[in-house]
Formats: sequence, structure tokens, C-alpha cells
Amino acid sequence: MPTAVLVLASAWVTLLLVGGGLALLRAGDVVHRIIALDLLAALVIALLALVAYLRAEPYYLDAAVALGLLSFVATVAVARHIGSGGPVE
Amino acid sequence: MISILLDVVGSVLLLVGLLALSVGVQGLFRLSDTYHQLHALGLATGPGVMAVLASSVATEDAATISLAVLGIIFVAITSPVSSHAIARAAHRRDQSGEQ
Repeated sequence: MPTAVLVLASAWVTLLLVGGGLALLRAGDVVHRIIALDLLAALVIALLALVAYLRAEPYYLDAAVALGLLSFVATVAVARHIGSGGPVE
Repeated sequence: MISILLDVVGSVLLLVGLLALSVGVQGLFRLSDTYHQLHALGLATGPGVMAVLASSVATEDAATISLAVLGIIFVAITSPVSSHAIARAAHRRDQSGEQ
């Protein structure tokens, strides 16, 4: 892929990260904050994938996969905590 | 020839993915209701990340593509489940608040 495309895409995802951070700061409710954090994790996964393509290093994708699974576990744990007061009902 | 074709396919997938991610962020800003925000998050962000990961075909590198496919599988499994968990938590909290 042309390097210019990847650099532009990385810059755009970074802008989106700033936007997601603003949404996180603006959120007034706990659930809104969880949603914003989930979105931020997805954006960081995309950014890591773009860095992996840009540097031709597949190792960044390892970090992307691990981050995806970690953010999934974190989201489910916090959602369980809010929904039922604890991880076990 | 095939390299140019893969470049085009990868760039288009990248564009689609970035558009979907932008829609997700925009939805978080424009929509105030929790369930509407979840709608934007679940329907736009997961496929957006998957499209960005799928644009790895343009790199023509076996390790990168196989890791990206692994990431696509994980995102395809975890994104709906986490959306559902958040929606369930919000619903339960609303219900317990009304009682």
C-alpha cells in the first residue's frame, strides 16, 4: 500500500482518538463512559494495525489482538458490575 | 498487476473502515441516549475495525495477514458480546432505578 495513504489514515485515526477522548470527557453517565472507552480501544486496535502496515512489522498486530481481548474482558466485567452489583449474581 | 489490484482493494477497505469508525465517533457525539450510542458503537465500530484489519491484504506479508485474520475473528466474536453486555447492564440499571 502507498505510504502516503497509510500516513493519512494514521493521522485520521489519531484525530478520531482525540474525538473519542473528548466524548469520554463529555460523558455524564457511567454507561456512556464505558461506551466511549470501548470505542477508544477499537480505535487503538485500528491504529496499531496501521502502524504494523506502515513499518512492515507484524508484531504490532500481536499487541492489537491482545488489546482487543483485554478490552473485551474489561468491558464485560464493568458491565456485569454495573448491571448486577458484582461479577457473580 | 496483482500487486496494484491488492493495493486498490486494501485502500478501499481502509477507506471504508475509517468511514465506519468516523461514523461511530460521530454517533457518540450526536446521540445522547445510551441505546442509540450503543447502536452506533456496535454497528459501526466493529465492522470498521474489521475492515481496517482486512486491508492487510495489501501488505502481501503472510505473518501480517494471518495475525490480522486472527484479529478479525476476535473482533467479530467480542464486539457484539460486549455491546450486548453494556446494553444488558444499562437495561438492568434502568429497571432497578424505576422500582
